[in-house]
Amino acid sequence: MLEIKNLHVKIGDAKILNGLSLTVNAGEVHAIMGPNGSGKSTLAQVIAGHDDYVVTDGSVRYDGRDFLELAPEERAREGVFLGFQYPVEIPGVNNAYLLKAAINAKRRHNNEGEIDAFEFLQLAREKMKGLDIDPAFLKRGVNEGFSGGEKKRNEILQMVMLEPRLAILDETDSGLDIDALKVVAKGINAMRSPERAIVLVTHYQRLLDHVEPDFVHVLSEGRIVRSGDKTLAQQLEDRGYEWVREAESA
Amino acid sequence: MGAGGRKRMSVIAQELLEAVVNRLPEDSLTPVRQAALAEFAKTGFPTTRNEDWKYTNLATVVELSNAYLANASAFVPHAEWTGAAKRAVDEILESIDASWIIVANGIIALETLAKAESLESQGIHISKLSNGRANLAIISDDPMTSFNAALLLDGLQVGIRSGAYDAKPLGFLFFDDAQNGGLSQTRLIIDVEADANIDIIEAHVSIGSDAQFANTVIQLNIDDRAQVGYVRIQDRADTHMQIGKLITALQRDAVFDYASFDFGGSLIRNDVAVDIAQPGATAILNGLYLAGGRQHIDNHTRVDHRVGPAVSREEYRGILSGRARCVFNGKAIVHKGADGTDAEQSNHNLLLSKTSEIDTKPELEIYADDVKCAHGATVGQLDKSALFYLRTRGLDQDEAAQLLTRAFAARILTAAPIEATHAYIGQRTEQRLDELISGDTP
Repeated sequence: MLEIKNLHVKIGDAKILNGLSLTVNAGEVHAIMGPNGSGKSTLAQVIAGHDDYVVTDGSVRYDGRDFLELAPEERAREGVFLGFQYPVEIPGVNNAYLLKAAINAKRRHNNEGEIDAFEFLQLAREKMKGLDIDPAFLKRGVNEGFSGGEKKRNEILQMVMLEPRLAILDETDSGLDIDALKVVAKGINAMRSPERAIVLVTHYQRLLDHVEPDFVHVLSEGRIVRSGDKTLAQQLEDRGYEWVREAESA
Repeated sequence: MGAGGRKRMSVIAQELLEAVVNRLPEDSLTPVRQAALAEFAKTGFPTTRNEDWKYTNLATVVELSNAYLANASAFVPHAEWTGAAKRAVDEILESIDASWIIVANGIIALETLAKAESLESQGIHISKLSNGRANLAIISDDPMTSFNAALLLDGLQVGIRSGAYDAKPLGFLFFDDAQNGGLSQTRLIIDVEADANIDIIEAHVSIGSDAQFANTVIQLNIDDRAQVGYVRIQDRADTHMQIGKLITALQRDAVFDYASFDFGGSLIRNDVAVDIAQPGATAILNGLYLAGGRQHIDNHTRVDHRVGPAVSREEYRGILSGRARCVFNGKAIVHKGADGTDAEQSNHNLLLSKTSEIDTKPELEIYADDVKCAHGATVGQLDKSALFYLRTRGLDQDEAAQLLTRAFAARILTAAPIEATHAYIGQRTEQRLDELISGDTP
């Protein structure tokens, strides 16, 4: 589904990714771990299409097509979703409006009719219930005055409403207490399916206790330095990122 | 307002003004006019050398006024509206459910008074200023209010009785369709008695392609514990100029909840003065100005906290495109002894074009010790991170930009009092933003 080869990315003069390669197939859950500054968030932002980042070499293909030439909105409509580490507050635009606009943008892209108001409300209520979100939430401004946990839950709500084929969740676990973490994990697990792939970008292993990855990759200095199964996450937790760096330089 | 090919006269021809004022029919307002005339003679129109008028050049207004004064006898003022004029008036009347009092071309017509009489039973008393008490305080203490008082044909005195708390909003529609250019002066003196609760709408609508200048002065006294919701809607024709002044005094525990919307006009200057005269008062001022083309919109507000405790909250927002030029000056003065004052003011601007310009200056002058004050201003473009966020949800660039622009304005729309005005204001805002975003403005 997603094929990243030898990706080099810089922002300004700073090189962030230095030859990253990663293949994600439908049905798989990948965890990308790494210390701060290793390039995890950059990878997520580049896949979503942020134009502050310049790709200097390498390729990103999605379903065999060059993904980098698509605008961010085209990527979204093709079924790629980015859950932000720091979701943006947009006062004056309510959640219901954004959700509906996002669903309809995708439906138009797929030559489907727009969602009707009743169908939308039913769907939203059902999904919100599953995520322990108060229905009044729909009328609030997007992330406006939300706590950290509410913002992350809102990202998950958007994901489950949009039903992406590829979801990249950037540090969705950070800032969550244990109850919120469980709710978020439940939302992610409900998304698992043979047609869908999920990439979890995370600093810590704790989310992986609730969402079991098929593959774990360790990112360091802009490259994947080690890949393995879920036991790699446990090893990292026990031994720290220094262990990988030492192994790398040894 | 730029340097034209020919030299523009920058002062009012006082002898022409005197001649016109002296020709007005003798009535109980004559002494007021004469006093105002003398007052105006001392200063003439303000110029850009005056700090309060630094960014608003009145040369075009002066030129139009002189042309009018030279030919005033040729202008036959009329208070009828038919055809396009009627459609413009009806649009407001049909969109906003209120008791409407219409003042056309500055004239208090018989129909106006007939309508006013029907409100008597609702605790709203309206009469001509010229019928009013002799000691009526017609304020004429600055150049524009003096000019207004000197040329005033008549005005309205409005009394809101204590029992008036269940009435429909009271709307004043100031309508101008003067042909071949023209001037209109209107004055309202509104007294809201203790414990009354009233919603007031001040709407300005005009049609016609010739330049026109309307000068409006509204005096509003809000007595003890009375509450006033107030919405000003300015939607004048794009060649029309207006200077408006609202002078408000708040007595003990009075509440004044004001929102102002500027959609039209070529040169607009709106002054709001709030005098917090007694403790416990609350003043809320919100404003939205949407300017494109070569529009010039200047909002000046001044809140005098003379006593405390009292609260003032102010937020003005502007969206500018084309070569629009806007001015915001919000002054809060906390006088000596006004302890317990809580004042906040802010002004935020969104510039959609590189050629639009805003001069913004929130000002605080504090002479008391125990106060809580904050102010701030921003000028900028759309938030890039918000744009990207929306695009990652599938909205294209234009859709995302429009959504954020609307959201920027929505803040003021949702803060406005008087529910009956919301649908109309919302729809006009939508239309105006479409014009500003597409660059399709005069």
